[in-house]
Amino acid sequence: MVNVTKGVLVECDPAMKQFLLYLDNKNEFGRKFVLQDLDDTHLFITADIVEILQDRIDELLDQMSFSIAEK
Amino acid sequence: MAGSKRDKKDRDEKKSKKAKHEAEVVEDDDIDDGTEALNSKDVPASAARECTEAAAEDEFGAQDYRKTLELKADHMSRPLWVAPNGHIFLESFSPVYRHAHDFLIAISEPVCRPTNVHEYKLTAYSLYAAVSVGLQTNDIIEYLRRLSKTSLPSGIVEFIKLCTLSYGKVKLVLKHNRYYVESQYPDVLQKLLKDPYIQQARKRELDEEAGNDTLIAGQLSNKSALQLNKPAASTSDGQASASTAENGDNENAKEDVPDDIFELYDKIDKDDDDEDEAELKTVSFEVNQDSIEVLQRRCIELEHPLLAEYDFRNDTLNPDVNLDLKPSTILRPYQEKSLRKMFGNGRARSGVIVLPCGAGKTLVGVTAACTVRKRCICLATSGVAVEQWRSQFKMWSTVDDSLICRFTSDAKDKPMGCAICISTYSMLAHSTKRSWEAEKMMEWLQNQEWGLMVLDEVQTIPAKMFRRVLTTVNAHCKLGLTATLVREDDKIADLNFLIGPKLYEANWMELQNLGYIARVQCAEVWCPMTPEFYGEYLTMKSQRKLLLSAMNPNKFRACQFLIRYHERRNDKVIVFSDNVFALKHYAVKLSKPYLYGPTNQGERLQILQNFQHNPKVNTIFVSKVADTSFDLPEANVLIQISAHGGSRRQEAQRLGRILRAKKGSAAEEYNAYFYSLVSQDTNEMAFSLKRQRFLVNQGYSYKVITKLEGMEKEDLNYRSREEQLTLLHQVLAASDEDAEEERLLGDMPGKSLEDLNYRSREEQLTLLHQVLAASDEDAEEERLLGDMPGKSLSNRRVGSMQSLSGADDAIYMEYSKNKKKSDHVHPLFKKFKKA
Repeated sequence: MVNVTKGVLVECDPAMKQFLLYLDNKNEFGRKFVLQDLDDTHLFITADIVEILQDRIDELLDQMSFSIAEK
Repeated sequence: MAGSKRDKKDRDEKKSKKAKHEAEVVEDDDIDDGTEALNSKDVPASAARECTEAAAEDEFGAQDYRKTLELKADHMSRPLWVAPNGHIFLESFSPVYRHAHDFLIAISEPVCRPTNVHEYKLTAYSLYAAVSVGLQTNDIIEYLRRLSKTSLPSGIVEFIKLCTLSYGKVKLVLKHNRYYVESQYPDVLQKLLKDPYIQQARKRELDEEAGNDTLIAGQLSNKSALQLNKPAASTSDGQASASTAENGDNENAKEDVPDDIFELYDKIDKDDDDEDEAELKTVSFEVNQDSIEVLQRRCIELEHPLLAEYDFRNDTLNPDVNLDLKPSTILRPYQEKSLRKMFGNGRARSGVIVLPCGAGKTLVGVTAACTVRKRCICLATSGVAVEQWRSQFKMWSTVDDSLICRFTSDAKDKPMGCAICISTYSMLAHSTKRSWEAEKMMEWLQNQEWGLMVLDEVQTIPAKMFRRVLTTVNAHCKLGLTATLVREDDKIADLNFLIGPKLYEANWMELQNLGYIARVQCAEVWCPMTPEFYGEYLTMKSQRKLLLSAMNPNKFRACQFLIRYHERRNDKVIVFSDNVFALKHYAVKLSKPYLYGPTNQGERLQILQNFQHNPKVNTIFVSKVADTSFDLPEANVLIQISAHGGSRRQEAQRLGRILRAKKGSAAEEYNAYFYSLVSQDTNEMAFSLKRQRFLVNQGYSYKVITKLEGMEKEDLNYRSREEQLTLLHQVLAASDEDAEEERLLGDMPGKSLEDLNYRSREEQLTLLHQVLAASDEDAEEERLLGDMPGKSLSNRRVGSMQSLSGADDAIYMEYSKNKKKSDHVHPLFKKFKKA
């Protein structure tokens, strides 16, 4: 029996890969999404999760930036 | 202490703010624990007014004023844009920039001053300050109208009128040792006198009939009380020619400048001119000394806050102190300008002067003391600073050693016959039991009448402590000095009413261009987190995250690289780390000396002297104890590996460590370097941006470096993954002993550990971070309790101090080191010597 899952190859810097793995381990979205941990900068993940992931990463980056205009 | 602070915060109404973000707690070191200290009674209601006028905003937040404002035909030659929301934009390339700048600094707060366009903001406070230095409503509006490219928004005109109408019209003047309420406007006084409370406070002659409202007429000279040493003949010639050259420039520029602005020049110049003998008619009435406080409060309620002025020349009760500037002491132009604001009308005004670190604040304080020539009390933040003030007094003025009296926990001079007392805030505000000697000293302090109180680093004091100091010491005039008039809470405006308005604020960039402070290149170096560290970082609590991002191997490598690079250039490098674990690890690994809170005095001295004189020691690691008052004139490179959250003040003060003007380096574009190492993808990124705000507003720009050129070629530590992993394990395992050491540092009064808390690692870590988060004052107090660092420091700094306070070209007698040492002999031995 062959299971076919649609996946997406993600290339990112090593730290961001850690973030993705962290989300995966914590079961943040109720399921595992990393299909294959390829190397330092590449991951193979399920295709349908990409949009949610992008939102999460935006959120992370927002936390780390700070608007100069804000007082 | 930090713990109690946090508890208090829990209780107060700011709860919502605390809940916002866990890490937020760490960053606001300035939050005042005495929230109740300043009640609304001290601030007139109108001070809270703001000038807001909304206009249509486009999608980028830009506002369209085209419909409301009219562009003048000759707008090209006028330098200002005045927006209806109170913001003013000044073109710094305009030919009339200098005058417009002087004017704006008087009436508004600088918001942001980068290269080409400066932003200012009109606030109620700034207008209050403007009025108090003698500007009048109509003049302000008229100048603004002339300088503006457009017609003035009507809202602004109204705002100025509203704010200036009642402010600064009445003054509380102390002359001939009696208090008078004085005003140039008889009608205002009449209005005040209608108030029953003020009636009561008024002092009447016995035979005078009640209800007799005759006021005492008087005259006020416009002559400045400031008497400075004129530069030697040759320099004055130079100045004269310079000023004629300047006039020549003006002639050339004339074509571009509309006539009305030219008239304005003359008027402003005349205002500046201290030879102007114009006399102003004033009226006044005398008040009872006992009811001063009631009177002041009542006047604030009536929206006529009293400006305190001290007519020190006519103070006959307090003896004059034999104190003058040395003939060789020459002030820099900006120092003179700031003092002129203080002594503008022949009297001393209370207020705050803002000058960058290393620009000679102390000399301003000393000159003020020499001008007032009455008993003077100086308050500094730490024992080290006290010693520095003392040596500065001796360097710049003719003061005799016996006239200066120090009052710190480890140096108490005999107060008999002394005229200048130098102490610390914590010493005066101390509320628990003192030693017998200190008790006597306090009694003496309280019984004296002080002519002038100089408050160093005035932004650091919480209002509550400040109150205690002000009620303890009776001073007629208060001068606050600071480099960074910012706090992370909004308490800074309170200073306006506790001390007085801001009298002067220097432009950092201008001083830098004139060579009075070093030209600093600021850089933010981004260090990517290694995967292992980031993996741990993600799973850790926020407090622990800070440690991991500080220990990032890539950061270590960047630090090592920068140290090597600058040591090769023969630079002197200071590395700052707030985190003691990181501090020690970096220093030990790189075999460099380090010092932090618990470092004992001898070692500290040894390290600092080696750093200064030993060509083999070019780098030292320091913790936050060195943030202020560590004078290391040689240092020209600063690397920051971990910092205190988003504290703007800390950033500016650290920069101040390398701001001393550097000698013989005119050739290079920059002569000092400030690196902030930031771990990518961590909280440090956000903190770093927050920290930079103040300096960015002063016109500094940070260069972001994502990759250090040539780093790969260097043989640096932590190259292999194995080494990095070992480091990670060290970091994860280290917390136990780490926390213990920190507890030593945090051995502060009131923080008892006996309830057997802090057993678990987590708790210990929290404690560690509480200790790290403790405010600067805490750290300083601790320093104060230790041995006296100042003794050593004052020995060390003699040679370089001219440059610190602004007279590189002046020649002084050097105090020989031996003599200096003999000054510090134990009092017992001194007695023997005399006998």
